[in-house]
Parts: sequence; structure tokens; C-alpha cells
Amino acid sequence: MTTVDAFPSDTVTRTDGEPPVVLRVDDLRVTFTRGGREIHAVNGLSYTVRRGRMLAIIGESGSGKSVSVRALMGLLPPSAVVEGSALLGDEQLVGRTDRAMRAIRGRDVSMVFQDPARSLNPTMSVGAQIVEAVRAHRPLPKREAAARAVELLKLVRLSAPERRFHEYPHQLSGGMRQRVMIAIALAADPKVLIADEATTALDVTTQAQIMELLVDLQERLGTAIIMISHDLGLAASYADEVLVMYAGRAVEHAPTSTLFGNVRMPYTAALLGAIPQLTTPSHARLTVIGGHPPDLGALPEGCAFRERCPRATERCIERPPLEEHEPAHAYACWHPVDQRAGDVLGPLTETGDVKEEAR
Amino acid sequence: MAVADTTTRALLSPTIGVERSIRWARIRKRLVIGVPAAIVVLLFAACFVGPYVLPLPAPIGGDVLNSSRPPGTPGHPLGTDVNGNDVLSRLLHGGQASLIVAVAVNAIGLIVGGLIGALSAYLGGKADTIIMRALDVLIAFPSLVLTIAIAQVLGPSLPNTILALSAFSIPGVARVARSSTLRVTSMPFVQAAALGGSPWWRTLLFHIAPNVLPQLLNFAMLGMGIVIVTEGALSFLGLGIPAPAPSWGNMIYEGQQSLSATPLLVLWPSLALLLAVLSFNLLGENVRDEMSGR
Amino acid sequence: MSQTRTPLLKVSGLVQEYVTRGAGGQKAGVVHAVSDVSFELHEGETLGIVGETGSGKSTLARAIIQVERPRSGSVQFQGRELTTMSRRELVSVHRDMQMVYQDPFGSLNPRWRIEDVVAEPLRGHTDMTRAERVARVAELLDLVGLDPARYRDRRPMELSGGQAQRVAIARAIALNPKLIICDEAISSLDVLIQAQVLNLFEKLRDELGVAYLFIAHDLATVKQVSDRVAVMHLGQLAEFSPADELYAHPRHPYTRALLDSVPVLDVVTGAVRRPRPLQGEPPSPLHPPSGCRFRTRCPIAQDVCATVEPALRDTGDGQFASCHFPLGVDAARLAPATAA
Repeated sequence: MTTVDAFPSDTVTRTDGEPPVVLRVDDLRVTFTRGGREIHAVNGLSYTVRRGRMLAIIGESGSGKSVSVRALMGLLPPSAVVEGSALLGDEQLVGRTDRAMRAIRGRDVSMVFQDPARSLNPTMSVGAQIVEAVRAHRPLPKREAAARAVELLKLVRLSAPERRFHEYPHQLSGGMRQRVMIAIALAADPKVLIADEATTALDVTTQAQIMELLVDLQERLGTAIIMISHDLGLAASYADEVLVMYAGRAVEHAPTSTLFGNVRMPYTAALLGAIPQLTTPSHARLTVIGGHPPDLGALPEGCAFRERCPRATERCIERPPLEEHEPAHAYACWHPVDQRAGDVLGPLTETGDVKEEAR
Repeated sequence: MAVADTTTRALLSPTIGVERSIRWARIRKRLVIGVPAAIVVLLFAACFVGPYVLPLPAPIGGDVLNSSRPPGTPGHPLGTDVNGNDVLSRLLHGGQASLIVAVAVNAIGLIVGGLIGALSAYLGGKADTIIMRALDVLIAFPSLVLTIAIAQVLGPSLPNTILALSAFSIPGVARVARSSTLRVTSMPFVQAAALGGSPWWRTLLFHIAPNVLPQLLNFAMLGMGIVIVTEGALSFLGLGIPAPAPSWGNMIYEGQQSLSATPLLVLWPSLALLLAVLSFNLLGENVRDEMSGR
Repeated sequence: MSQTRTPLLKVSGLVQEYVTRGAGGQKAGVVHAVSDVSFELHEGETLGIVGETGSGKSTLARAIIQVERPRSGSVQFQGRELTTMSRRELVSVHRDMQMVYQDPFGSLNPRWRIEDVVAEPLRGHTDMTRAERVARVAELLDLVGLDPARYRDRRPMELSGGQAQRVAIARAIALNPKLIICDEAISSLDVLIQAQVLNLFEKLRDELGVAYLFIAHDLATVKQVSDRVAVMHLGQLAEFSPADELYAHPRHPYTRALLDSVPVLDVVTGAVRRPRPLQGEPPSPLHPPSGCRFRTRCPIAQDVCATVEPALRDTGDGQFASCHFPLGVDAARLAPATAA
């Protein structure tokens, strides 16, 4: 059950001129017990995140992407069992007590959530909430903390920051609220910022603005960003590395420059084929994979995608390991897609299969 | 666009296979409804059937010379009270009164209150505002004071007690009915029903009512407990069931007068009250959960 | 795409407003949710309506289907005026006009069996016997890709989002309607399931010849299923073009901004074009800017845009835009305002 690190280790990196690793996740596993069954939400996830870089973790619901980062933040319910290792610098995140996590949360690693309407306290002014975040990790007097809060509002490019300081969440638009969330997350200058579907609920124009802001902040502050999403287009545009998850495992992992145009995992190919692109001609049919993701409490033997995969064979009953089959491109498949040999990912012109497959 | 929510939902969704722990969860669910239901049934049986089946003396008209007998006295399993009446008999007959009041008041509250609330939600606008403000006034009144006032005016008797307590129970039910109706009618499936050509009465009966009823029933069940206790208070104050007819409330009242000498006289009706209220509450909560399919 | 037949749906000058109340209950402001929208939809055609939050697209849908009566304007369906019809008369209209909602679970009564859910419009609009209904339900479930034997007795809470939405679609097509309004019908589904349902819409279009009003916020999705696309901004129609033209030659700067805000990924080569964000905050529907409502964020706004509200004009090739300086067109050569 061991997985192979896709990228060189820290010591080797330094001589390569790559930025230092700030987060190293090794064989992360998260299990819940529900009604007597074990639900394997995350089954052995490994990756590294470097300073100033963006890692996109892509998957649908049930893939384990949100659970895996909440495990890092210690935000899972007590019934969750987290195993493996997650080293933030020298600090081990797995197995920390809640009190110990509170010291780190916000200070070294922080998170921005999907729905800013629900993540902000509607009864407190925006400024007060940022001040609270600032003072959580640094005992500044109120005046200084307020000044820092206004600075942060400027940093996230909110217009008229001094005025916004006193406003309440309901007076702001969705995009502005999300900027406030980012300001709160950056209050203590963390090494890693996790954006959990942070732009999914926003309008497309606002989404573009927020992503641009995140990239800008990354360059200015050197914060590493983990972007959780289901949108491969976003990942392609902004991330340095992409990790695709399915049924709790990483199934493909590569730098953006290597992955797109040379997708290997049939699941990733399916995702790409299923998303309408602006370039898709009107009324073209989409490549469709029938069925739905497996029950995490009753994972099938072998490759979890086997039952839906158009390329599956007998061999897939033995689970393919995640391996770096090509330089810096890891995937877990016995029958990978070969775009260069002409395998087509894009929309079909025939009717895709619309039938619901058997459960 | 609730991607993250579906993950959590998937983690919490019911299992497909049947294993021992699941069976145990099912048994527990049955117990949590079954036990209070059984107790309620027992209480009703005891109070309404018991007196005609068991060889008990009448609850009133006892011999003063027979007073204050301890429990275990032959012919008086729970003893007698200060007037010489058999305690067990009074307990069971008193239960009849208390339970009748509770059921009647809540039935009236459910029907009248439910209708008012649903109508208010349906009418909307000014009518809705007027009705709601009127109910607000009723709710704002200290309920006990209101009930006492009505009971005083009407005079103590079983029907009057029911009337007075209904006035107390209707506004609360109306509120719940109204908010529940508002919530359900705003759901797309009600709109879809209209698009599907469903006439208004069908929509009301088959779409709105089944989704409003669970909450209402739960509220009514909780109301059972409250009404029994309030009736007890009324009778305690001499305004509910008139003496010498027993009810749990006035048994406590009388027993309280000789509390130091015969504390058991207060204990039995209090225990009965406690048992009834607990059972109704438990039943109410768990039936609601069942009905909304949790 | 000019038609000589009567259009299936003709919307003219539709206006919808909401009054917001202040703390004391007095009128505080008016939200101009839909402002003077006009368009035509023909049989078998799919018209996509795309817009962001506050664009008024969902309000438009509700005003068309008469769930909320519009403040003014006309909605003609199959030649009949809907805005003046009584509720009773509208029932007959619903045989041919149905709706699929965003929340698949909200649109199905959680306590009903699937069989009953899909059969409901058959009960309400036809005289079919029970046996006939059962047969039709089986046909419909099959059409949407659900095995009738396995799903007819289930309840919505036992289904996944994608399955529930298929049930909603089965119910919508039960009476073979001429028009189905899809209000964000796939937004809450998973990516791969969205693709399944989109393909299902196309299949139904091919087999039943049904017309769609497809409302969504994702431009790529809307563009793909549609013949023509209407772009809405703050209650108004900014642009109205055939789908492929919309992408190739957007006329309205807002359309351009929407196109630029989305990453474009070439799945074959792996090349990606990063979004170019539109700067500025969307204006509030309570206080729309004077003149052109997009001018506060428009990169090519001029003085006239603040004083004169641009009308929807024919810019050639079947494209209409409400802009004083439509992109790629010599404005001076254009005729003044026309309807789409």
C-alpha cells in the first residue's frame, strides 16, 4: 500500500534551484466509522507543496479532496481517524490535539472556504473579524491590529478599505466577501493557504478576479497555495501542479505543463471530455461516462474506476499503483490514454451513453 | 453549486449492506419509539379500562373514618387520602380527566390552530399580518394568567377547562403551522405540482399537508405534556376540575396540604404526571424524526 | 434565422420589479430585476439565457411561466397572451410549457414515490386510466435512462442528484410539451453527471422536437446546448446571437468580458488561455447606473453611454446587441433600435 513520491526530495531540490518544500504529505489516510462501516475517505495520499507554488487538487464530490485538506487543518469530526504524515516545516500535523492545532491554524496554514456568506459572522463588522484573526496569533494592541486589518484589506484589493472596515458582510457582494475571507486567512502570514472550492460559488467574472488576486498574493508573499476544485480549466490556468483524486486516492499527478495535452488516466480524460468548452461547437455531444463514483464504505477491489472505465480489462482487478511512469508524471493505470498516439478526449459527435449504469 | 455539501452528505448517507451495527441501530430506533408508545398505551388502558376491570372503590364519597391509610392496606393498594377515598382509584379516574383534557385540547389546538396558521400563510399580505399580530398578543400574555382568567370567568368544570386551555394552545400551533406552510409552499415541488395541473385542493392535501404534518404533530405531542401540567396547575388552584372529582392536578393540590404528614399523596399523581409528560415528549420527537425520514 | 411562422414564445417589453422595504415598512427602493426584455423562440429551438447573479434570468423565467405576474409587458405562447390569463386558463397552457428546476430534491415531493411524481401531470391534464399512466411512466423513465422496475417505487431521498434530476425531467416531458424551461437545471450536479444530463437534453430534443429555454450562468454550457444565446446583464438583454457567432464575434463588451473570464483549455494540445478578469464590482440592482448599465465596468465606455441608454440593435448576421459601440461593427452604419 505504499505510494511513491512523485517528485524529488527536499535536499535534492535545493541544489536544483527549486524553492523549498513547505508541506510534505505522506500516505495520508482518513477513515470514518458510520453505522458500523468503515468509510475510507482518503486512502494514501502523498504530495509536496513548495514555497510560492500552487498545487491544484482536482476531483468530484466523494473523491476525498476536501476531507484530505480538512485533515491537515484538524477540522474533521472526532470520529475521523487520520493516519500518515503531514509535515509543515518541522511540525507534524497528523495526530495533533485540537489545542495544538489552534496554534498552527491561521498562523502557518489557513483556509478559505466555498461560501463566504456562511463563513463570515453576519453580526460582526468585517474589520472586527479581521482584527480577531490578527490578534489570534499576535498579541497586538487593538489600534495596531486595526491598522494591520486595513493593510490586509488593501492587500486583497478591496476598494475604500477604511470604509469597508466598518461594514458588515451583508453589505458586501460575494466577491468582496471572499476577499475578506482571504484577508482573514492571510492575517498571520501563513506558509500555506488552502482554497477549498473558494471560487465555485462566485460569478465567473468575480472568479477570475479572485484567482488573479490569489496568484498576485502568491508572488508577493510567497505563500504556497493548495487549490481544491473540480474545475480542470482553472487548474490549467493557474496551478503549477495538478493532482487528480478519485475514491480517496491520487490517480494522476503532474506539473501543469506536462499534464495537459498528455493526459494519461482515463478518469482525467473523462473529466476533460465532459466539460463543455467555449471551443466546443454547438450541439456537440459530450464524452460521457455512465454510472457514479463508488461507495467509499464498500470500495471495489482493484482500481476504483474500473466499473466505469471504457478501457478496463481483467487486469484492473489488481489495483494499479501510482507510479512515475514518465519523468514528473505519475499515474495509476494499466491502460493509460495516449493522446500523442491519437486517443481522442474531446466531444463526440455521436450520442454519448445516457443510461444510468447498474449500481 | 453545493459540491462540498454532497461529499459530507455522502459520508453520512445510509448504508447499503446490512451488518450487525445497523441492525442494532434499527432496534434502538424501534425502542425509542416503542417504549414511550407502550407507556402511553398503558397509561390510557390503566385510566380508561382499569377502573372497570379492577375491583376498586369509587373515587369519591369515601368514609372519613377510613382516611390516611398507608399503601398496602387490604382493599386499598395505594392507601387512602385525607377524605377516605382510595388513592389508586382517584389516580386512575383522575388520569381519565387529565388525559381527556390533554387529548381534547391538543386536538382542538391542532385542528383550529393548524387551519388558522395554514390559512394565514395562504392568504398572505394584510390578512396574514393581522392574524399573526392577533396571535402574537395572545402568545405575549403570560399563558397561565390568561388561562386562569378564562377559567375564572367560565367557572371550574371539565369542558371549561378544555376551553380555557385551548385558548392557550391554539396560537402556538398556529405559528408553527404558518411557518411550516410558508416553507413548504415555497418549495419548487409545489410549483411543479401547479404546472402539472394539480388543483389547489389536491396540492394542499397531498403536497403541503404531508410535509407540514410531522412538525405539527411533534409540536402537539410536546403540547400534551404542557397541557397536562397546566391543567394540573389550574386544578391545583381550584379552577380546573372541580373537587371532589379527581384529576392529577387537584390531587397534588390536596396532597400538598398535608405534605409533611402524608407525602405519598403528592408522590403518586406527580409520578403519573412525570411518566405521561416524558412519554409524550419522547414519542413526539421520535415520531417526527421518523416521519421526516431521518 | 427569420421565421415566417408564429413563434412558439414571444416575449415583448417584459418588466419585473420588486419593491424593497425599509426598516419601518415603507418603500425603500425598487429592484429592476427585468427591464424591457423582448425576444422570440421558435419550435424545436433552444434558446440559452446566460447571466451572472443579479442579471434577472431566473426572474425572467418565473415571469414567463406566470408563477409571478410581470409588472408589464407581454408573453405570448402559441399565440395566446399569458399575462392576462386567469390561473384556470393557465392550466391548459402548462400542458405545453413545463419547467425543470435547479434543486432536483426541492422539486420532488420527498414523500412521494417516483411513480406518482412522474404521473402527476398525467393525472392533472389527461383522462388516462391508471394502467395507461403506469405504462406511460415506464416509457418516460426509460427515456431518461432510469430502469422503471428499479426506480418506480423508490422515493427521492433514496436517489442521487443526477437520478433525481432525471426524474424531474421525466415529469417535465410527460405531456410531450412544446417548451421546457430549464432554470439552472444542471448547476448543482457533479461534472460528469452534468455531461450525462446535457446529453439527455440533446437526445430529447432530437427525438421529441422540444424547444428549450436554457438558463444558466456557465457560458460554455449554455453555448453548447443552444441555437441562440441571450446574454443578460442587470435585467437587460446585452446581446442576442447565434451560439457559434457569440463565441467567434461577440458584439457586446460584456459578452467579451464573460468570454475572457473563463479559462479556455484545448484538450488536445493542452494549451490554456488564462482568464483576463473584468475589473470593478457589479452594480447593485437597486441603483443601476444611468444610461448603459454596464458602463461602470466597460473598457470602452464613452460619455454618451452615461446619458443615453442603448437599445437592442441589429448588428448583422443575426446578432443583436444593446451597445452604442458594438464590437467589430461600424456603429455609424447601423439602423436604430429593433426587436430581436
